[in-house]
Amino acid sequence: MAFVEQHIHDEPKTFWSKYIFSFDHKVIGKQFLWSGIFWLLVGGLLALLIRWTLAYPGVPFPVIGNLLFPNSGGVVPPDTYAMLFSMHGTIMIFFAITAILIGAFGNFCIPLLIGARDMIFPTLNMLSFWFGFGASVLMIVSFFLPLGAAAGGWTSYPTLSTNLGQPGAGQTLWLISLFLFGVSSTMGAVNYITTVITLRAPGMDYFKMPLTVWGLFLTSILNAIFVPVLGAGLLLLTFDRVFGTTFFLAGAAATSGKGDPILFQHVFWIFGHPEVYILILPAWGIVSDLLSFFARKPAFGYKMTALSLSTITILSTVVYGHHMYTTQMSPLLTQSFMTLTMLISIPSAIFFANWLGTLWKGSIRFTSPMLFSLGVVFVFGLGGLTGLYLASTSIDLYLHDTYFVVGHFHYTMAASVLLGGFAGIYFWMPKMFGRMMDERLAKIHFWTTMIPLNGIFTGMMIMGYAGMHRRLYNPFIYEFMQRLIPINTFVTLCAIAMGLAQIIFLYNFFKTIFGKNIPQASANPWDVGTLEWQIASPAPYYNFKEVPVVKCGPHEFGNPNLKDGRDFQYQTEELVKP
Amino acid sequence: MMTNNPGKELQNLRNSVGMTVALISFGMMFATLFLGYFLVRSNAPTWPPVEISNLPMLLPFLSTLVMGLSSFTYFKLEKDASHRKHFWFATMALGISFLVLQWNLWGALKASGILVSNGNVPSMVYAFTWLHAAHIVMGLMLLMWLGHYLFRKPEAVTALTLLNVGKFWHFLGAVWLLMYLMLFVL
Amino acid sequence: MDISFSERLIGMIAEGSSLLAKANDTMSFWERISPPEDISTSGHLIHWLFAYTTYVNLFWFAILCAGLFGFSFLYASRRHKKALYTHGNEKKHLMITAFIGLAVFLSVDMVITKVSSRDMKEVFWNFPEDNADIIKVEVLAQQWAWNFRHAGKDGEFNTGDDVVELNNLVVPVGKKVMIQMTSKDVIHSLYIPNIYIKADAIPGRFAKLWFDTTKTGNFEIACAEMCGNHHYLMKAKLTVLSQENYDRWVNESQANAIATNDTENMDLRWGWKWGSK
Repeated sequence: MAFVEQHIHDEPKTFWSKYIFSFDHKVIGKQFLWSGIFWLLVGGLLALLIRWTLAYPGVPFPVIGNLLFPNSGGVVPPDTYAMLFSMHGTIMIFFAITAILIGAFGNFCIPLLIGARDMIFPTLNMLSFWFGFGASVLMIVSFFLPLGAAAGGWTSYPTLSTNLGQPGAGQTLWLISLFLFGVSSTMGAVNYITTVITLRAPGMDYFKMPLTVWGLFLTSILNAIFVPVLGAGLLLLTFDRVFGTTFFLAGAAATSGKGDPILFQHVFWIFGHPEVYILILPAWGIVSDLLSFFARKPAFGYKMTALSLSTITILSTVVYGHHMYTTQMSPLLTQSFMTLTMLISIPSAIFFANWLGTLWKGSIRFTSPMLFSLGVVFVFGLGGLTGLYLASTSIDLYLHDTYFVVGHFHYTMAASVLLGGFAGIYFWMPKMFGRMMDERLAKIHFWTTMIPLNGIFTGMMIMGYAGMHRRLYNPFIYEFMQRLIPINTFVTLCAIAMGLAQIIFLYNFFKTIFGKNIPQASANPWDVGTLEWQIASPAPYYNFKEVPVVKCGPHEFGNPNLKDGRDFQYQTEELVKP
Repeated sequence: MMTNNPGKELQNLRNSVGMTVALISFGMMFATLFLGYFLVRSNAPTWPPVEISNLPMLLPFLSTLVMGLSSFTYFKLEKDASHRKHFWFATMALGISFLVLQWNLWGALKASGILVSNGNVPSMVYAFTWLHAAHIVMGLMLLMWLGHYLFRKPEAVTALTLLNVGKFWHFLGAVWLLMYLMLFVL
Repeated sequence: MDISFSERLIGMIAEGSSLLAKANDTMSFWERISPPEDISTSGHLIHWLFAYTTYVNLFWFAILCAGLFGFSFLYASRRHKKALYTHGNEKKHLMITAFIGLAVFLSVDMVITKVSSRDMKEVFWNFPEDNADIIKVEVLAQQWAWNFRHAGKDGEFNTGDDVVELNNLVVPVGKKVMIQMTSKDVIHSLYIPNIYIKADAIPGRFAKLWFDTTKTGNFEIACAEMCGNHHYLMKAKLTVLSQENYDRWVNESQANAIATNDTENMDLRWGWKWGSK
């Protein structure tokens, strides 16, 4: 589709129009970033509470325990424990990761990287943030209800999540909050898709877009298609709770009618499996770009990587049943889901090979974004390979709902996405806030995150293999798990270490933004040729004074025909030929 | 405050692509409901199940007629520039009468002893019609917005605005037709 | 820091160390992290497949690490000043990546798909016939307990001679046990770590499961699906008796059941006709 030029408007002057109700994609991206970091801290605190309970059951949580649980002398009570892990999952997936990877990077990067002045629907974009904000407010409110927040797991399977298992209003608020968040995500997705289709700068073909944009674009497609599926499921469950419909009620407990709790699982995972890829695709995109940028070498097999990502996107929509093996679907369905799931490893292996190909014979600069990107390759390798165990129906009989699953999905969804997110923050910091983060602190942050992180999630997989199942307040009432006490303690210590390491990040982040005497970053501190690095840092209002005309791909590094001492080309330059 | 006033060509592109993507999202939501319907139906021992053996038939039939008629009047609204306002009124009136009919349908369901909590199938009848009616309200709001421009600034109403509102309205009509067929006819 | 906190800290350390002491200190690391002892005839299949996947995964992960760390070392900018200019889209490059993709698929995925399909078909889904010499047990899960129902002498469920045990599944060694299961309230999941299986107990549906033990003794049964605040307390015992002891147990508890079961109390008659859907 042809490119259309957006008009430049006057910069908003007042505080409210500039920072709060802003139409500017960069400000909205930053709003998402701030709220995402806030929720990341809340989710992280919940994770520490969970880990503490597992390692030291019955022992009060240090320092703030008494403040949080005054009735039990600082010890996490069992009902609160259920609330903790339910909210940890919900908050991390929706309010932290989605907000940072899709909300912040999606908003900030898409227009800049494709050479547009803003998103195509600025108003929709603003609404998207405020719907998400409303959702977070509801989620916060639910913590202070008499019966507490939702405690049925982040999956909230009925019938546990109906009035039968969750009498409190927390679950209803959870449903409404996620529905609002879904509306926000869908609005964002409609905006991103339309922006990428219509606002690419002249010459910016789909196969000249940076892979970050590819990742975000594919994510948005999944979001637009599958978030409404969850929305429908959430609404039906809300009706069950509020209006007395009986979609998901069954068994002796259903006073009348006969619903089917499995229906919710189908709906949930039709959305839920693509959701995993919704979270990871932007991180893959960012990593694919950064590996090339800092290996000073064109992305190896760019087209193949983009196509692999697309293939995975398509496959991700037809494999959801592997979350439901133990519900005993028909053998035919189970086997088809297994086979389809296994097919995902072909495109995954291909883009892994391309990542390594990018490093091969490069001239690697170990900057902090690069370290984090290499970290993603490592942890996603582990996460992806351990998925094979769970995809197999027979091994899943044993491993389903154990800590092996927890370790696996944290490697893929938490560790990879978190490291990818940090890589992105360190990388785009100069363009976002006009200042470089402290490289030395960033590298310390990397190693102090990376090492405990592997301790945590490998430890979890080991415990899972030893048979420890999920969501237990005190696993050690089972005799066969008492031998796992030391490993649990080790994992908890790693989690505390990783939690403390984030203080380094926060210090660095806040110091960079608010600190005094921090020098202004140059327009192109990383020597990268994509469009956003040709404009000033931080990116000016309305980005591009002149709409750029794109003439070459995003990863033109090390071209031997380059004369003037540079080893990269801007995307607006004609590819240098001998 | 900044307003976005892009060129005509831009508006063309963004609206048609954006509305299409948005309709895919809406469509997926309704598709999920229909998936639930098919799962329930394939597990049901008999169809129609006893809980809904005495469903009211006349009201939903009238609703379908009204919905179809409103799609037609909107179609005329788009094509017939000289009587645009008349057809706008007709569409609005039909849309509102659809809601009134749905309201009566819920009353009739209750009167004939079909309650929300009577089981899966009555739950579906209610929940589907509720959700559809909520979207009709959104559709009516879009029509009001269109009406605002029609009466105040007729020159601002482009063929594209008409097309987009129409896309949404016809989409709701199509969804209703499917619902009617699945819940009340087949 | 106030006194109560330091007191609590001391208490915490004491409690933590007593917990640590409870765990067997003489255990080696490998003993700690190996799965529970296999007491089933089918567990070795899962062991084998797990081990196979692990070896092949280790191979591919070693290659990944070799590439990741090796290239990072060899091609660091201070060692390797000038990057090679290639887009990796030549024919040979595509061949290599496609080859890697296929090799991973063929070496891991194909094999485990095939083996686990075969295992499922031949073993885990190959339920024993109803008229075979098996032990039939009906299981009703509820928040937060397991009810196990044996048919008793008449072989019919839901009659006066049914033996119902709370949180204790008694089976004879070396005999196939067939379980039908449902739930009263929320979704539960019957998980027997020593047999490496689990299946969800879903309200309104019947799940089935079979296993065969090879060893007598007391083992644990857990609920693996989040089922409420006291999910962690939903623990039951698996008692595997020798055939002789089992017969004695059946006779005793049957007599007991006939004497004490209140046939009028409908609450106790939660059983169902074997094999109903």
